[in-house]
Order: sequence, then C-alpha cells, then structure tokens
Amino acid sequence: MPDLSALYDLLGLLPLECMKLRFMQQALLALLLLAPMAATLGVEVIAFRMAFFSDAIGHSAFTGVALGLLLGIDPRLTMPAFGVLTGLTIMALRRGSPLSADTVIGIVFSGSIAFGLAVVGRFNGLARSMQQFLYGDILTISDKEILFLALLLAVLIIFQTFGYNRLLAVALHPAMARAHGVRVAFWQYCFVSLLALVVTFSVWAVGILLVTALLIVPAAAARNFARTAGGMLWWAALIGLVSAFAGLTLSAWEHSSAPCGAMIILVACAVFALSHAYARLRTP
Amino acid sequence: MAAPERTSPALRFENLDVRFEQQRILEDVCAVVPSGSSTVLVGPNGAGKTTLLHCLLGIIRYGGKITVSGPDDMRVGFVPQQLSADSCLPVRVSEFLVLGLQSRPLWLGLNRRNQEKCRDTLRLVQAEHLIEVRLGALSGGELRRVLLAGALVREPHLLILDEPAAGVDVQGERLFWEALDGARRERGFTQLMVSHNLPMAAHYATHTICLNRRVIAEGPPRSALSSSTLLELFGMPVHIYPDQCDDGEDACPQCGALFSEDHVRA
Repeated sequence: MPDLSALYDLLGLLPLECMKLRFMQQALLALLLLAPMAATLGVEVIAFRMAFFSDAIGHSAFTGVALGLLLGIDPRLTMPAFGVLTGLTIMALRRGSPLSADTVIGIVFSGSIAFGLAVVGRFNGLARSMQQFLYGDILTISDKEILFLALLLAVLIIFQTFGYNRLLAVALHPAMARAHGVRVAFWQYCFVSLLALVVTFSVWAVGILLVTALLIVPAAAARNFARTAGGMLWWAALIGLVSAFAGLTLSAWEHSSAPCGAMIILVACAVFALSHAYARLRTP
Repeated sequence: MAAPERTSPALRFENLDVRFEQQRILEDVCAVVPSGSSTVLVGPNGAGKTTLLHCLLGIIRYGGKITVSGPDDMRVGFVPQQLSADSCLPVRVSEFLVLGLQSRPLWLGLNRRNQEKCRDTLRLVQAEHLIEVRLGALSGGELRRVLLAGALVREPHLLILDEPAAGVDVQGERLFWEALDGARRERGFTQLMVSHNLPMAAHYATHTICLNRRVIAEGPPRSALSSSTLLELFGMPVHIYPDQCDDGEDACPQCGALFSEDHVRA
C-alpha cells in the first residue's frame, strides 16, 4: 500500500495548530478528495432535480450498515454496496414504470429505511454502532479508505470528462439526447452508481442526516456564481473544497467544539447565502 | 410557396400499431415521408402524433415496421417543444449548441471551430445575437429557434420536430416556420414535424399526414387538408382553402365555419 506520510507532512505545514495532529491531516486529505467529488456530482443532481434521490441513497446507507453488522461483514463494504443497489433499483423502476420519480424514490426510500430499522431493533447493541453513521465521523478514516477515495476521484474525473456533456443533454431533454446519439440508459446507470458510491462515502464525513447537503449546497451556490454550465463545475468543486477545509478547521477550534460534518454544511450554507445575494445583485 | 414533392421516401411507416395497456394509440398506420420534404403531421390531441415520433426515435415499442432510407451515417436532429431541465441552470446558448458537436467537456471550454459553426447555425435561424445568452433568459420564440439551431448544428439528414412552435405568438411562430423552411431549402434535409397550426402547415408543408390513431389522409397539403378530411379529423368544420368547400351549407360570414348540426355530429 502506498505511503501517504509525505502528503500528511505537507498538510502539517499549514499554519494551523490542529493540523499538527495526524488524524486531522488524514481527515483533511479525505475531505479534499471527497468534497469536490460530491460537489461536482451535485451539479448533475441539480440538473436532474434529483435531491430526493441522493437523500434516499444516503438513508439507504443506514440499512447497509445494519446489514453489515448483522451479517458480520465490514459495514464499510456493505454500505456502498447497498447504496449502489438502491440507486440502480430506483433508476430501473423509474425507467420501467409509469409512476412519477418522487413516488418511486419514496417507495424504495421507505422500504429501505424500514428494513434497516427492523434489523437495528431486533439486535441489541446495533443502535449505538449506528450513531457514527448518523452524524458522520471523518476523523476515524484510515489510509486504506483514503486510497479508495483517490481511486474514486480518478474514476469521477474520467466520468465527468466523457459524461458531463452527455448527462447535461439528457437533463435538458432525454428524448432529444437519445435522438442525438446519447446512450441515455447507459449514462444514467453509470451516474447513479457513481453517485451512490460518493454519497455513501460522504456519509462518513457528514453523516446520513446531512449527506444531501454536501452534494446540493455547493452546487446550488455554484449555480448562482457561475456564468456558464462549464464554469458551474469548477465553482462547485471550489466551494466544496473551501467548505470542507473551513468546516474541519472550525470544528477543531476550541470555542466551537461542533461536529465536523455540521460545520462543513454550515460553511457551505453561508457560501450559498453569499451566492444568493450576489445573484440578486447581478440580476437587474 | 411550397416546393414540389420528391417521390423517393426517406421514411416509410408500415402497419404501425401501438397499445398502452388496453388502449390502442395507433392503428395500422401506413404513411411515407418523402425525401427532402417538409412533412407535417396534423391531428387532434390524443391522435398519436407524438407517439408516432417516439416510435421513430425508438423510445416506445410498436408493432409493424419503420423503414428509414438514407446514408449509413444517418444523423437525426430532434426539436422538442420545451426543455425539461431547471431553467436557472447557467447553460449558455453556445454551450447548448456544442453539446451535440464536441466531445471535450464543457468545463474545459468550447472549441473555437465549433463556436464558429454554432454562430453560422444561429445565423440561419436568425438568432446569432443570442449566442452568449442563458437558455433560461430566452423568450418563448427565441428558445424555439435556439432549439431548432441545436438540432441543425448536427447537420441532420432527418429533422424531427414535436410541436416546436406551440405557445409562441403569431410573429414568433411565423419567424420559426420561415427559419425552418429556409434551413431545409439550404441544407436539403427531410423534415417530419407535428403541428397544430393548419394555416402554417398549408403554407410551408410539401407533404401532410392527417392522423387520428390511423391515417385519415396523406399527400400535398392542398389535397390532404381538404375541408372534408379536416371535418373527419377534428369532428368540426375547418376551412383552410375556402375554394375547397365541398358542401353546400351556408358558412358563417365572419369566419367561414359551417353551422350544420350534421357536421357537428359527424
């Protein structure tokens, strides 16, 4: 396994007392990888109006964890696997059913949560283990998981290189995209799979309750700042990075002592408020 | 004035049949779209016009056969009525047009050659001045011409349009049809369009298909859009060509419509 010490040492050069600690360096590196991934996928989530979808995936992580604990498999494996399965199920039902998207998502979402609650309720002791997934716990992330995030980032860059224009075309009008040669189903399934993976990893950072915000808020702020569809991706990545860095640093500040995930989202919301004011001023 | 029809068909629909559950949407539809023609598909709401286009695009399953004649690398352009994405997305007209042209992602910028191509296409639909405007900031008429440019920039052999000018004011709709007709004459593509605007269809179409689950009539507009066909199609008297009134009933002196109870019942 590659040694990440050099990167940690580099982050340790930051003029912040909290960054002298190894677990904080690990958390920062993980967030610098994860936040821009979530934020750039958020651009597509907004374009497809899929906020509820990502919420459903986030909550399915709860069931994924419960299943892992129940079956004695590492929840960090069952969580993304169950998230991807949930995402693919929703997409397959959406494509093959006359039901509206929010109805399909609502059904899968509720079923998944109910199953998770049933599992947690049946086995004493599981509820306590679930807490870190509800609120997030990026400070416990390991080198192995950081390397997986780096691999996921590489996959995401390739995906956004080949899929960004195509997915935007699908979001604008699926029938038009199909007529113009875009393989709509293929790109939709790729998108939900990748989204499910990023969402389940984001649960680590901010917890199930706030995971949708990590995707939506930076992308929504980016929509206000950006002047072009291409620029929106860069703005989203930048806002994601700034929110993650500032949120982590503020959470370590002795006067705040707030959870890291909550601080990241609060910073992102503050940036959104700024972007909203900027958009109001820009529009006559 | 519409150009004369060419004979070889670019599209041939043979015994097309579509059912949704127990409901029959299309029944044994047989029609052709002549190569290079401006073919307009007319009919009442629920007649199956959009369904026919969806069959052609492969979106829904159908019985029967659709034969498409053209080059091996046949390019299809599609102009929808509206866009389905959030209108607040900061997508510029130039970006929308290059979606169909460049493989480079938009976040790495636009290719200069493609930008020139977009500008030329927008000029063709009299919308060159809109190139840097956001899609969400366009008026209804402007958006329809930009959607048309989005399909034309691909240099399609076959252009499919689904009520592309619905909801636009008279001036905007006339401008749209004029731009479309000019583009077709210049580039020579085959056009299949769903429209409810019968006077515009009569003026610009070279071929019309009258559809109400099945084909009621087909041919050049002057023969296919006769008052008797339109009566059968819409269940009420409609006159596009006043001299074609093949009924002796008195017409309304104000609008030319017939009052006969028989006609309304028919």
